Amino acid sequence: MIRSKGAQILYLFLFSILVLQGCNRETPPVENDQVTIVFKHGKLAGDPEAFETLIEKFEERNPDIKVKGEVLPSLSDEQHQFYVINLEGKSSDFDVFAMDVIWVPEFARAGWLRDVSNILPTDKRAAFFKAPIEAAVFQGKIYAAPWYIDAGVLYYRKDLLEKYGFTPPGTWEDLVYIASEITRREPGLYGFIWQGKQYEGLVCNALEYMHSHGGDILKDGRIVFDSIDNRQALEFMEDLIYKYRVTPELVTTAVEETTRHIFGTGKAIFMRNWPYAWNIFERDGSIVKGKVGVSLLPSFPGYQSSPTLGGWHLGINKYSDHPKEAERFIEFMTSYEAQKTLSLTVGYKPTRRKLYRDSDLIRAQPFTAKLYDAFEQAIPRPITPYYMMISQILQPEFSAIISRIRKPQEALESGSKQIEFILQLED
Amino acid sequence: MSRRPHVLFLAPAMAVLAAVTIYPIIYVLWLSLHRRLLIFNISKFTGLDNYGFLLRDDRFWNAFYNTAYFTVLSVSLELVLGIAIAVLLDRAFKGKGTMRSIVLIPWAIPTVVSAKMWEWMYNSDFGILNYLLGANINWLGSPIWAINAAVFMDVWKTTPFVALLVMAGLEIIPRDLYNSAKVDGASRWYIFTRITLPLLKPVILIVLIFRTLDAFRVFDAIYVLTGGGPANTTETLSIYAYNMLFQTLQFGYGSTISVTVFFCVGIITILYVRLLRREIE
Repeated sequence: MIRSKGAQILYLFLFSILVLQGCNRETPPVENDQVTIVFKHGKLAGDPEAFETLIEKFEERNPDIKVKGEVLPSLSDEQHQFYVINLEGKSSDFDVFAMDVIWVPEFARAGWLRDVSNILPTDKRAAFFKAPIEAAVFQGKIYAAPWYIDAGVLYYRKDLLEKYGFTPPGTWEDLVYIASEITRREPGLYGFIWQGKQYEGLVCNALEYMHSHGGDILKDGRIVFDSIDNRQALEFMEDLIYKYRVTPELVTTAVEETTRHIFGTGKAIFMRNWPYAWNIFERDGSIVKGKVGVSLLPSFPGYQSSPTLGGWHLGINKYSDHPKEAERFIEFMTSYEAQKTLSLTVGYKPTRRKLYRDSDLIRAQPFTAKLYDAFEQAIPRPITPYYMMISQILQPEFSAIISRIRKPQEALESGSKQIEFILQLED
Repeated sequence: MSRRPHVLFLAPAMAVLAAVTIYPIIYVLWLSLHRRLLIFNISKFTGLDNYGFLLRDDRFWNAFYNTAYFTVLSVSLELVLGIAIAVLLDRAFKGKGTMRSIVLIPWAIPTVVSAKMWEWMYNSDFGILNYLLGANINWLGSPIWAINAAVFMDVWKTTPFVALLVMAGLEIIPRDLYNSAKVDGASRWYIFTRITLPLLKPVILIVLIFRTLDAFRVFDAIYVLTGGGPANTTETLSIYAYNMLFQTLQFGYGSTISVTVFFCVGIITILYVRLLRREIE
């Protein structure tokens, strides 16, 4: 049918044009200069309606802007991967996005974030907790606005402590003493459970011992990991399992939900976890309802409680076509009003200090209001673009300590050497 | 009419293949020769430096050893169990069809879901495994048990796949062979080793290719189960590559690891295909 080679090639050519034509996207007509900004975020906890109402409110007040929310998978690793791939490809498909606090310096260093000093000038920053602001500053400029906050807290069995005449522990030694005393008299209970699987959560846990013993990983950009303070703190973490025996070996595989489940079935006296677990314990039908207390994490004598900072920030994509509109949206989402709504509806903890004295919030959520001290004292994980690499080094080292594969001193030396190597990568 | 019209007709398919597989492979090879750190905007051609570093990298060798251990152990167990199950299910009995479908259930569950399920079953406090055994073993937390627990889960999950393929292989063995062997007074074991197994060889080789390649690239099952812990004792090459590429954004070195996995898998495939070809000839 096709007679010549020339004709064959022609047909092929026409065919491919037809195929490529199909790839052309049609651009929708623009109505009265209205701008659409895309907001990428992980799945929100609880009822999505509250969030939608909030966006509607923003659109009402800013008739020139339309906001399109787009949800990413709930695993934060997957979100990180999504942002990396898209931002590396200079995608302008989204304008505003939610970031885990530990990604901010990394993305800022990569040049993927817009400086948002405009909406957060120095005098406005004091309204927020110190730690999340610090964590968003890179080379003197601020690259994201704190949206909601998280920090490690100590859950304890109020009923059991009262029964044996104890008050919540102020130091780690107190915690060991109370846990051993109560488990001696109430066999079958675990003393103290926390998260020890090889993952980011283990780093958060280990840092709480180190920070509450005067230790750290980096100081002014230098490594201070291999120190006596850190060694003693990590030895204590190992001793909780093998010497004091208040922590069961199962923590070496535990994540937040594992420990929450065990504590929720009334099988543990103390638990380190994030504030999210509270609402689950207080639900109707919960075995431990009304029996749970929450306090600041203990510290070593002479030092302060040092909960690890968590939480999410809002940033603007460097390649966004509508940065001004994006700024307005972030300003709104991190405002007193929006944070109050999100706290009352889906339980996101506000990053603005003043909200913890808001009478509506105190009345509706006395628990949230009590977290003020934990957030005030929270300490960020090392604020450096290298953080993800450092965490990758620390996770197996900490895991080795609590599984007794390496002694704390060996882990500190090995971790130190690897971090040193990473810090030289840039040269 | 040109003499080779088929080339022209193949062209679109070849173009698609080139775009979606060959180009990315070459790009990863190219990347693996670079020092490329996304966050620092560093992209420098460094030749074979990454490969030199790889050979001295303890974490790489640890991952390599874990991957090899996992592959050898899980594939051999799956093969033995798969053949046993297939032979049993090949016999005529009531409810054979139902039984065959039931056996396939583990294979039908998505890996991430079954890994999550096993994570709970392995839990040393409230997991069903310790309850049934009356033991108190920290399955996923002990350096000795963790990798074997992962193997066990993989065996549970993919044995049905092996059994399914072997069953198909059994179907095509002519029944006359069995009948005449029986007439000659051969024992069951003799029939199995002298008739069934030799005739199954091509199917077994295909099973081995599929399973070895899958096992060597194992990622999701172990990633969900242990995250590579405790202390990297279950970190496989794919998990290491993922951590380097997407967690720490070291695209150069991460690609080097991926390329190494690619070549390992390539060598395994070539060996198997050779065996298979010899078998068929």
